[in-house]
Amino acid sequence: MDDRHHRFEVLVLPHLDAAYRFARWLSRSPYDADDVVQEAILRAFRGFDALRGSDVKAWLLTIVRNCHLTAVRQQQRRAFVPLPEEHDADDGHALIATTPDPESTSMRRDEQRTLDRLMSALPEEHREVLVLREIEEMDYREIAAVTNVPIGTVMSRLARARTALKARWLQEAGREPHAVR
Amino acid sequence: MPCAESMRVQAYFDGEADASSAADLERHIENCAECTALLDDLKKLRAALRQELTYETAPAALRARVMRALDAQRPTKWRPQPFWKGAFSGMAGTAIAAGIAFFLLAPQLTNPLLEDLVTAHVRSLMPDHLIDVVSTDKHTVKPWFAGHADVSPVVADFAEQGYRLIGGRADYFDHQRAAVIVYQHGSHVINVFSWAATKDSVPRDTTRNGYHMAFWRTGDLVYCAVSDTGWDELRRLVRLLQDLGAHDNP
Repeated sequence: MDDRHHRFEVLVLPHLDAAYRFARWLSRSPYDADDVVQEAILRAFRGFDALRGSDVKAWLLTIVRNCHLTAVRQQQRRAFVPLPEEHDADDGHALIATTPDPESTSMRRDEQRTLDRLMSALPEEHREVLVLREIEEMDYREIAAVTNVPIGTVMSRLARARTALKARWLQEAGREPHAVR
Repeated sequence: MPCAESMRVQAYFDGEADASSAADLERHIENCAECTALLDDLKKLRAALRQELTYETAPAALRARVMRALDAQRPTKWRPQPFWKGAFSGMAGTAIAAGIAFFLLAPQLTNPLLEDLVTAHVRSLMPDHLIDVVSTDKHTVKPWFAGHADVSPVVADFAEQGYRLIGGRADYFDHQRAAVIVYQHGSHVINVFSWAATKDSVPRDTTRNGYHMAFWRTGDLVYCAVSDTGWDELRRLVRLLQDLGAHDNP
């Protein structure tokens, strides 16, 4: 293995799981996420020499996001029906709950499904800031870099995303009393 | 009509407020019912997202696909056309390229200690390298270190605060057998390394290759927590361990 491959494996590949999680939440489909991640890793490899500083994860997730946006544009050009930003509850369920789970009967799994479904029903710009902040635990500066907006916009989007998710959660709790503690 | 401070309260919650505004905001929250409720909502939402949301790791098939695709990138395909092309060739060009590659990496990895810690952290994330003794019980992990490491660090489970003890590991490090305590925080793994302090000062907190590293010293031991969590989340665990250490070594 040459030196460049080696450095890439050491510096970038440890963030493959984060890249996959982010792609999953952006595309809401495991198949699309696979393609997006593979494309992103290849682009990252080609652009590796331009990487400066140590913010490898934010750099990789920026590429993942760009690949996702490119894929969505290509799908639209191919005249597929674009993924709706808002859809009804049953749609969201079908999009995300694709892996069979042995504990599917447990209550925790129910809560998980509810939250997964509510998250996947959020508009993309809300979903991405929530995932970057709460799941990837990035700070405002990093989120601003990944989503290519000013920090002030990150703050207002986060506030709106949290309010929207909470509202949906409460709505859900009204329907299914055990879905929220 | 939301309180005018709500955005700053959110920034405080996200660990983005500096020390002086944090103190101001804490006072404000105490006196503002609306912001108290907001902070409570933010905490609940975060706990739910970090505990209940599905975290998936990259499937093995995807990992294999990515590795194959990388292998297929032959050196001639990726090498950019350098501006000095023609001016240099052969060995000289290679030497310059190697020099530049070194220059790119050098500022990140000048301290061998930091390099060793990041390497150890990354290695631990490979399948089957994370944990030698699997346990969520400090009474199992701590005695295990006695036979496997040169130091005996503080060990505790902080599952209630969001940091689940998942086990321990011994790592050869800085010429000694270091003890590593492994925590799970949401989707992230946090390795807490500990080794006997030498005369050298404790390194400053830093970020290498996307991993935050927080250092501190308690008694005769130097600790370093490494993870790709946020700084705020990492330092919260550090504070929990420091408090515990202060209790053990008054």
